[in-house]
Amino acid sequence: MKILIAISSKEFSVPTLSAGMKIAQSFKAKATIVDVGEKINDFSLKEVSMAQERMDSWDIDRPGVDVLEWAFEYLAQNKMINTSSIDAGFPKNTLIEKGSSRAEVFLEGSASDDVNLILRNGNIIEELRDEVQSEGYDVTIIGASQKRGMAYDLIQYIDSSIFVANNYNPNQSYRILLAVDDSPATKKTVKYGVRVAQAFGIGVDILTISTKEEFGEDYKNAASWAAKLLRRSGIEHKNRFEVGDPSDLIASNAGEDHIIVMGASSSNPLKTLFKSSKPLKVLENCKCPILIVK
Amino acid sequence: MPIFSNQSVANFLFWLSRKKWLVTAFFISISFFYLPTPEGLSSQGHRTLIIVLTALILIISESIPLPAVAILILIMQVILGVDTADGVASSFMSDAVFFIMGSLMLAVSIVHQGLDKRLALAIVNITGNKTWKIAFGFVAISAIMSSFIGEHTVAAMMLPVALSLIRNAGLDTGKATKLSTLLLFSIAYGCAIGSIGTPSGGGRNVIMIGYLSEFGLGRISYLEWMKYAYPLMLIEIPIAVAILWFTFTPNQKIMDSAVRKLKVSVAKSGKLNNNQIMAIIVFILVFLGWIFLSPIIGLGIVALTGVFFYLSFRLIEWQDITRRTNWGVIILFGAAISLGIQMKQTGAALWVAENVLYSLQFIFQDIEIIRWLFSVVLSGILTNLLSNAATVAVLGPIILDMGGNPIILGMATSISSAFAYLTIVASPTCMIIHSTGLVTSNDYFKAGWKLFLASIFLLFLTSTFYWPLLS
Repeated sequence: MKILIAISSKEFSVPTLSAGMKIAQSFKAKATIVDVGEKINDFSLKEVSMAQERMDSWDIDRPGVDVLEWAFEYLAQNKMINTSSIDAGFPKNTLIEKGSSRAEVFLEGSASDDVNLILRNGNIIEELRDEVQSEGYDVTIIGASQKRGMAYDLIQYIDSSIFVANNYNPNQSYRILLAVDDSPATKKTVKYGVRVAQAFGIGVDILTISTKEEFGEDYKNAASWAAKLLRRSGIEHKNRFEVGDPSDLIASNAGEDHIIVMGASSSNPLKTLFKSSKPLKVLENCKCPILIVK
Repeated sequence: MPIFSNQSVANFLFWLSRKKWLVTAFFISISFFYLPTPEGLSSQGHRTLIIVLTALILIISESIPLPAVAILILIMQVILGVDTADGVASSFMSDAVFFIMGSLMLAVSIVHQGLDKRLALAIVNITGNKTWKIAFGFVAISAIMSSFIGEHTVAAMMLPVALSLIRNAGLDTGKATKLSTLLLFSIAYGCAIGSIGTPSGGGRNVIMIGYLSEFGLGRISYLEWMKYAYPLMLIEIPIAVAILWFTFTPNQKIMDSAVRKLKVSVAKSGKLNNNQIMAIIVFILVFLGWIFLSPIIGLGIVALTGVFFYLSFRLIEWQDITRRTNWGVIILFGAAISLGIQMKQTGAALWVAENVLYSLQFIFQDIEIIRWLFSVVLSGILTNLLSNAATVAVLGPIILDMGGNPIILGMATSISSAFAYLTIVASPTCMIIHSTGLVTSNDYFKAGWKLFLASIFLLFLTSTFYWPLLS
């Protein structure tokens, strides 16, 4: 399993990195930490690269290296990489250019599989999409953004499950809010929910929502299947059934002390473009971390 | 079963979201193609203007790579019947394109020698340790050097000097401060100001000289250009320093220990080596060639002769040149110049010029002022959105068809296209300092608008009172 963790700065990315590495550990996954820097336009690409080569010769770090160095220190402090890597220090000299806008450092992981540190330059959605497509990540972990349209772009265009570390506080205690329904994605969603609950060592609230008063058999079966899996995994859980608008109810039930785990929309993307979708509405309205499983 | 899977629809929507300007350009060009040709404009001129519009949309939106825009311009010229394939090919390559190619290769060769440490020592030896003097030194040396060897080269060499001083002052090179903003803008604005000084300061100057000569409107030699532009460049230096200093006044008024540390670190690099001495000699020969030989063999051939010497003396390897030269920009400028020539030949430039003059006569009565304002203000604005060489390549033929003194209007257009102070994308020097992560787009506007207005005012005074004395 492969997990991509997108960070941006030491000031804002502690929650994202903390949550991301916890999830990577729970899945025993190969983690890649990426910092996406500003896009350099075509007119200046070579000139900027020439200036950065001169900076290297003066031993001045190019932008983004400080962010990776901070990530390295975080991994070292939390013993997430092997002692030999920690002792050797941040290996910025082994930052290998791969293509015009991608450079990477490889580290041996201790708690998870290997850990990669990557620098990319460009539009964040384009770069993450390209990284996910070329390396085949299963989950992309990213901090919340105030940018308009960012939530839509993430859900629609990144071809992996998405974990948004919205207001995530590593010191707060959370529960999982596992949204189940009759969709085909529910089974995978429940499996991911179990792994995340194990990673964080927390209980799960299974939430089944119907827009009608009567709950169909498929809804009930999905809820009981989720409960069975959680019981077998030894995770404390509660079952809740509610009637109303699923997006509103998931966001309001989650409050600020849950991590939402829900499936991605199976609607046609063209329809989603004009009519939105359940996960998109929840992501836009919730005040807590959310994992959208694809 | 739906015809298209959700994944393929999502892929299409993603492509559409990234290429919306390409699609827009396509529909605009198709719509304009089927509109009747305006009165007074030839059919070929009409089609040329469609290509100009399409190219402008694609360059500003960056929805496809620059070399693709260049290739599209060439294809459209032939397919729309503006010119034959041979005609397009011959207008694509000119001495101006040779010059742009040669100067980019020279830039790579000079930066490769690692002369920046010598430069650092020279700056701090001249300026001492007062911060305002260091900022003055950065602007002045960037301007004077970039007037001869091109702004990108100087910016690439000056950047580590500034960052090293910032680091030596005990500041984090990953965090913006007023000192870092002041020094980085001193480089970017110094380079922009300097690029007007001589023809070799920027490709756009050579494009304008090429147009003036090609259209039979006049010839300007290297030294004549300097007579017109160098005084203006020198006056702009202290003005830029004052604007930058009062906009980004740093807390550190003296940088004693930073300068000392810089001197120590530079001293470790030893004396000039043979390659560096040879590189300087070759460049001096190129400079002399531009002054004395360019009227006979052209500025581009002189620049390429310099590249020949750098390669022959093994001062740089061909692989290094190919890896670091921006070939996309060379192809684009070739295509833009070819389009400019077509604008002149098809009458499109004249049609636009006449319509602009006619429309603006309702606002300003004096046609001289209209010509001047159109050439300077539009070039200044476009250069901040597009690229200065592309601006001159496209606007040049229109402005030269407006009447009046072509030398004065041509020079004013070329010089105002160096006023790239307002945006990150305005020039590679602006992008170079932005790539450090220490300056934001707001910073460009904070100081940029003041320098932009001051530069336009100075250009007005120079072109009105000084240049007529030279004509």
